[in-house]
Amino acid sequence: MIFLKSENVSYQNIKTLHNIELTVKKGEKLALIGHSGSGKSTLLKLIYERYSDNTALVPQDYGLVNHLSVYHNVYMGQLNQNSTWYNIVNLVRPWQKPLERISIILSQLQLEDYLFRPVGQLSGGQKQRVAVARSLFQGGNLLLADEPVSSVDEKQSQVVLRQLCNHFSTVVLAMHDTQLALAFCDRIIGLEKGKIVLDQPSHKLASQDLLALYAE
Amino acid sequence: MKKTIILSTLLILFSLISSTTLVAADTQKTLVFSAIPDQDETRLKQRFSGMADYLSKKLNIPVKYVPVKSYSAVVTAFRNNQVQLAWFGGLSGVQARLRVTDSQAIAQGIEDTQFHSYIIAHHSTGLKKGDDLPKGIAGKTFTFGSKGSTSGRLMPQFYIEKAFNKKTDAIFKRVGFSGNHSRTIALVQTGAYQIGAVNFKVWDKALKDGKVDLEKVSVIWKTPAYPDYQWTIRGDVDASWGEGFSKKVQAALLDLKDEALLSKFPRSGFIKAENSDYQPIVDTAKSIGLID
Amino acid sequence: MPSKPYKHSAAWNVSWVFIFIAVGSLFVADIEISTFEPWGELSRFFLAIFSPDWTHYKDIGDAILQTLAFAILGVVFGCVVGFALALVFHWRLVRTICALVRAVHELFWALIFLQIFGLHPLTGLLAIGLPYAATFAKIYAEILEEGDKSALQAVDPKTSVISVFFYARLPDLWVHFKTYTLYRLECALRSSTVLGFVGLPTVGYLLSSAFLEGNYTEVWGLLLLFYLIIATIRYWLRPKLLPFYILVSPFIIANDSEISSENMVRFFTEDIIPTPIRNGEGLVELGQWFNELFLTQALPGIANTLILTQIALVITAILTLLFFPLISSHFFKQTGQTMGHTFLVIVRSTPEYILAYILLQLWGPSMLPAIIALAMHNGAIIGHLIGRYSNEITLRIDTVKGGNRYFYELLPRLYGQFLAFLFYRWEIILRESAILGILGIATLGFYIDSAIQDLRLDKAIILIVITALLNVVVDSISRRLRSRLRLKTAVECS
Repeated sequence: MIFLKSENVSYQNIKTLHNIELTVKKGEKLALIGHSGSGKSTLLKLIYERYSDNTALVPQDYGLVNHLSVYHNVYMGQLNQNSTWYNIVNLVRPWQKPLERISIILSQLQLEDYLFRPVGQLSGGQKQRVAVARSLFQGGNLLLADEPVSSVDEKQSQVVLRQLCNHFSTVVLAMHDTQLALAFCDRIIGLEKGKIVLDQPSHKLASQDLLALYAE
Repeated sequence: MKKTIILSTLLILFSLISSTTLVAADTQKTLVFSAIPDQDETRLKQRFSGMADYLSKKLNIPVKYVPVKSYSAVVTAFRNNQVQLAWFGGLSGVQARLRVTDSQAIAQGIEDTQFHSYIIAHHSTGLKKGDDLPKGIAGKTFTFGSKGSTSGRLMPQFYIEKAFNKKTDAIFKRVGFSGNHSRTIALVQTGAYQIGAVNFKVWDKALKDGKVDLEKVSVIWKTPAYPDYQWTIRGDVDASWGEGFSKKVQAALLDLKDEALLSKFPRSGFIKAENSDYQPIVDTAKSIGLID
Repeated sequence: MPSKPYKHSAAWNVSWVFIFIAVGSLFVADIEISTFEPWGELSRFFLAIFSPDWTHYKDIGDAILQTLAFAILGVVFGCVVGFALALVFHWRLVRTICALVRAVHELFWALIFLQIFGLHPLTGLLAIGLPYAATFAKIYAEILEEGDKSALQAVDPKTSVISVFFYARLPDLWVHFKTYTLYRLECALRSSTVLGFVGLPTVGYLLSSAFLEGNYTEVWGLLLLFYLIIATIRYWLRPKLLPFYILVSPFIIANDSEISSENMVRFFTEDIIPTPIRNGEGLVELGQWFNELFLTQALPGIANTLILTQIALVITAILTLLFFPLISSHFFKQTGQTMGHTFLVIVRSTPEYILAYILLQLWGPSMLPAIIALAMHNGAIIGHLIGRYSNEITLRIDTVKGGNRYFYELLPRLYGQFLAFLFYRWEIILRESAILGILGIATLGFYIDSAIQDLRLDKAIILIVITALLNVVVDSISRRLRSRLRLKTAVECS
């Protein structure tokens, strides 16, 4: 599914990823953990560049359009699957079919009350769930999500992660909550200063083991 | 850096030139004259600077021509004493003399006693020349010359409204103002307007110069005669240049025999004129509401 | 299923109101091409671009110097007076007077000053300087208002006002003042050019004369030089050279006509006094006189001005939406953007008055040329600004392309800014619509020009005041709409 070999990435002459070797099999649920700046986001970006086909994305800054409604932001996940005309008409008057599907997705994320609310009026956590809803609506074989639950509370984090893991067969999540990572993913990748320093199945790890990665 | 130096020198040079032209004429008071821009506005300066030289030689004082963009601006400049002598049309002359007391019409072209306007039409209208104004002009698009023109507006408007007993706005589909006579000919010739009103002297000259394509545009009616262009001088010139100055200017104008200079007007010669010669213009302008 | 139906935003609804008004206006507007063979003349005009004529280089050189000198002096006058006014802009009286002065277009000011000063250079100087001073006052005041005041608070309260200003405020604000003033100089070059159409000795004088005679090769000779001047503005307009320019300019615009106080007094005490009063008639006659003026000229003038404005505004909006992608990095690579920039610079550098004039000559007098000229010019200005804004937006790496990107990613993000600029230009479009009447379209400018040509200044002045009031009204509606929709504008759009 994903196969990276001796990958290096530089940004403004500073190396952000060193010699990355990574193979991900179909069906694996992967968590990337490490400090901010350790290269998680860069690695996700790199994977997306290589495997953009049929891949859904939850970027760290959500990439939502504040002036559009929740519905339209979620709908944007499938822009490429419809003709431009169909999409433009949808802006003026939402189509029934995507509306039904999106309503269901939103109710799974407890956002059903905000269907036609402009995203700009939502709280940070709500926005994050809209970004998640967009990826769910988009669907695909692979999900790349950068801190998809950083702004939602504990209980909702569970809901969001369950939805994502049920929906996509292969999942790569950048996470800082190690417990959630262990609970939802079957493999943990630890990153430090742009290098992979840990690569273990979750069942061999305890929360304690991961703390080292966050130690100074 | 080089560029700035070149630019600066150029600018200094230019400023020097313009400032020297500034002070050159300071010794004796300059008589300034102007003329209504009734045709070919591009070369107004060329058209009238010869006249300035002629007057200067005859009167022994510096004479300058200033180009002015509109009929009303000539009247205003005349009224403001920025221009003392002007070659006016019938209407603009009347407007000027109403505003400057003691100003006098002193000379007119030989043709100006019996002036006419032509109504011209684009070939697509199918209108033919007639002794009476062809009624077929109704409902067409129509252009006058300048808003302040006698032969391009006042008289044609008067005769057309008389013939139809209606305002021009109600007769024609669209009424425009081309700006001047040569433009009127050009606009009707290209079909921008179907009908136009034009000064007969400008038309004849354009025809002679080969600027008119008779296949495209032709005269369909000639208005009755009326008095038109004249030289008008301010009443206070005698105080500035000495007793009898306006008589001297008049004599200089009547004396003008140079064909080349006369062709710029275009007239065959100048004869005496008086304010009262233009009473018909005053009456007409009043009747269609152009002056109060 | 959602219980509530989808509701569009307030901005969307407002947009449709404007579109409906414009469509309604189209039904009553005269937008016919009345020329018999319009395209022949148009191609003749555009073919002439290949053989520009500079035979009369002496006249042209002089006209260009005059254009530059009037623009520079006008802006200098405007920014000195404007700055002084900006300091007292919180006085209601100053604000009101500035709003009224601003509401009258440079060309109308020129027509008024032509009556007072005739051909004296003061006519052109004040025609640019006065409305510019009023604009400068407003914008400078806004800059002072919005500028960072933190340095101010650190100053010992006993320091004199003037030193506080020069030490604590000016250094921070200088850049804003400079940027805006330079931008206005570019505008002034356009204004100064256009003033030639009413008789000032600038490029417009030659341009309009060449046009009247159909000398398109000469027209292009002038237009190309004009573009060259605008395009090279940052090369020749160096702060170091400015004192030199200012010093030289008076000599360029000087001529030997004199102003007499007599004329000025007469203008105010006779010319602009309504005829019935001047003739000592009663109030009844005055009422009749005004009534007739209002019903036969002001009212149709106002109607046509508004019709033209509303149509032009919506077409400006459409063109803006078409133009901005041309310079947007989201749609074109570097070379494409450069071409887009060149196109927009040319379109927006051409004064709308000249554009309308060109199209009128070619298509005959209807509102169509005016609509296209206004929409092209303003669309290029706003398109340029919106395009620049769009380049500040970063999109997701998995973003879509083409129409989807335009309608989903960019338009919603830019729409507020777009409306803000549009409403800001609304009043400017109105002012220009009125002015285009001078070219023969029956907006207020037509009646004003006619009154001046008939030497009825009393009527002309009243019509000009009506035009100004109309402007003030539209400006305040626009301001209210902007604050209702919470739209912010930058000063660069005025």
